[in-house]
Amino acid sequence: MNNDSDTTQSNEPPYTKEEFMNAEQEMALLTQQSLMQYQREYVPAMFSKMSDLAKLKLRDIVKWGRSNSLWPLQFGLACCAMELMDFGAARVDAERKGYLLFRGTPRQCDVMIVAGWVTKSIVPKVKRLYEQMSKPSYVIAYGECATSGGPWWESYNIVQGIDQVIPVDIYVAGCPPRPENLFSALMKLQSNIRDGIDRYETRSLSENLQGYESERV
Amino acid sequence: MAIMRINVGPIHPGTHGVLKLVVDVEGDTIKRVEPHIGFLHRGVEKLMETRMYMQNQSYTEKLDYIAPLSWDDLYVNSVEKALGVPVKEPAQYERVILLEFQRIASHLLWLGTFVNDVGQLFTVFMWCFRDRAKIMKLLEDVSGGRMFYVNLRLGGFNKNPPADFKERSYALCDYLEEKLMAYPDVLDSSSIFMERTKGIGVLSKDDAINYGVSGPVLRASGVEEDVRKSHPYYVYDKIKFKVPCTYNGDTYDRYEIRYEEMLESISIIRQALDAMPEGPTVGMPIRLIGPQAKPEHVIMQEELPRGEGIIYLVPDKQRPYRISLRSPAFINLSVLPKLSEGMKFADLFSIVGSLDVIFAEIDR
Repeated sequence: MNNDSDTTQSNEPPYTKEEFMNAEQEMALLTQQSLMQYQREYVPAMFSKMSDLAKLKLRDIVKWGRSNSLWPLQFGLACCAMELMDFGAARVDAERKGYLLFRGTPRQCDVMIVAGWVTKSIVPKVKRLYEQMSKPSYVIAYGECATSGGPWWESYNIVQGIDQVIPVDIYVAGCPPRPENLFSALMKLQSNIRDGIDRYETRSLSENLQGYESERV
Repeated sequence: MAIMRINVGPIHPGTHGVLKLVVDVEGDTIKRVEPHIGFLHRGVEKLMETRMYMQNQSYTEKLDYIAPLSWDDLYVNSVEKALGVPVKEPAQYERVILLEFQRIASHLLWLGTFVNDVGQLFTVFMWCFRDRAKIMKLLEDVSGGRMFYVNLRLGGFNKNPPADFKERSYALCDYLEEKLMAYPDVLDSSSIFMERTKGIGVLSKDDAINYGVSGPVLRASGVEEDVRKSHPYYVYDKIKFKVPCTYNGDTYDRYEIRYEEMLESISIIRQALDAMPEGPTVGMPIRLIGPQAKPEHVIMQEELPRGEGIIYLVPDKQRPYRISLRSPAFINLSVLPKLSEGMKFADLFSIVGSLDVIFAEIDR
């Protein structure tokens, strides 16, 4: 009897099918949590010894600071650059939100506003400017031409949207969009950064790992 | 001293767009400047052959995005000439008024950016944009678009002007005249502005004629030439105005010419408002266009804010068969190597700014 019972017990697995499924889910959850843990550790290296709570708070502070000091790159290509100038001028006073520090060099900037149509001959320069900006850097496609090519869609020398070349965070529609639209786009970008749903936060996990390795502050 | 070659641009705050300059300097003195253009080329002349006549307005307005109405008007005027459509008289007056407002807005934007380049006088930049915003608001209420107004139709406009158009225009003229008085006080008393413009980039009268420059750049060198006087279109022959002219040909004179032109435009607007008859200004609806074009080709010229613009148009039934544009800014840019030779490197952007180049028009 004992032998029989032993053989039957040894043939059966030590857990039911349901338990197995649960365990698998649990493992996945644990893996995810550990990865999330890794993700949370994305704070400046000087703060890495602090407690988790402090890290979270610091991360929020970094986001807050980042969202409130969006310095745009002084970079205009075509018509929309006129509205960009109006954006910084007397009627739409953009300085009250802290957007107005247009910088001449990409190394001091956070936001690149692509204003105007992008031809094939200017693409390498735009790409170079984007790469020279310190990460995290954000891109706003301002106007129809930067979004999709606009009225020059059929032209042989036009890139049909800057998103074929560099990643874009916010698209602004219009030909040209009013300066107020740029204002709302920057406010949207601001809130995205603050809520942690900008391009740098919402990529898939595997991409994130690589990204954080290369883009550590 | 050895000659050093410096590359400026194509994306540079001082070049007013995408202009690449290859500069050879000896110490701080410029030996040679070579402008490289074509970074905004999109084949607009060819694209215009694929569109119906009135659809092309959305292409012509983007040629000169500081004064979109000027190229629009030149194009529509040449199409009217090709198809033999007369322009209604009230519409002619209204076009003159809007074109002159557009010229003031264009010169204001130029002045703001130029002064900002020359000496960081950000106050004047703010003033210019404040005054330009008033003009843009009026044009927006007249046409419906803030920056690009596709409001011209064959023989008139897409709609009648608003009921208070005349009063508002008079009030705006008074406002602009009052505000423009303050500009020279600030600029002429600023030693930075004077030292960076007086005697910089001198273009002699002979050179100006030989290079074929036009507009304020030509008139600053002492040639009294204006298409509004020499080949009047619309009602410019019924309006009394003088062509401002200065004789030094330097950067300061180019500023002075544009300033005088703004005041002259205000007087033109006032006269046109006085003489503007009552009546509808609505032109032909777009879908009715398609008559047989009569002439073999049409050449039309107008005085744009940047100079003399010419359109050569070979008409077909529904669309232009061939269009060729003569851009004033392209010709004006060609004197840049001549002007900047022997100047200091820091004066280069003062000279580039004073030519008032615009690259959508140059690269086409």
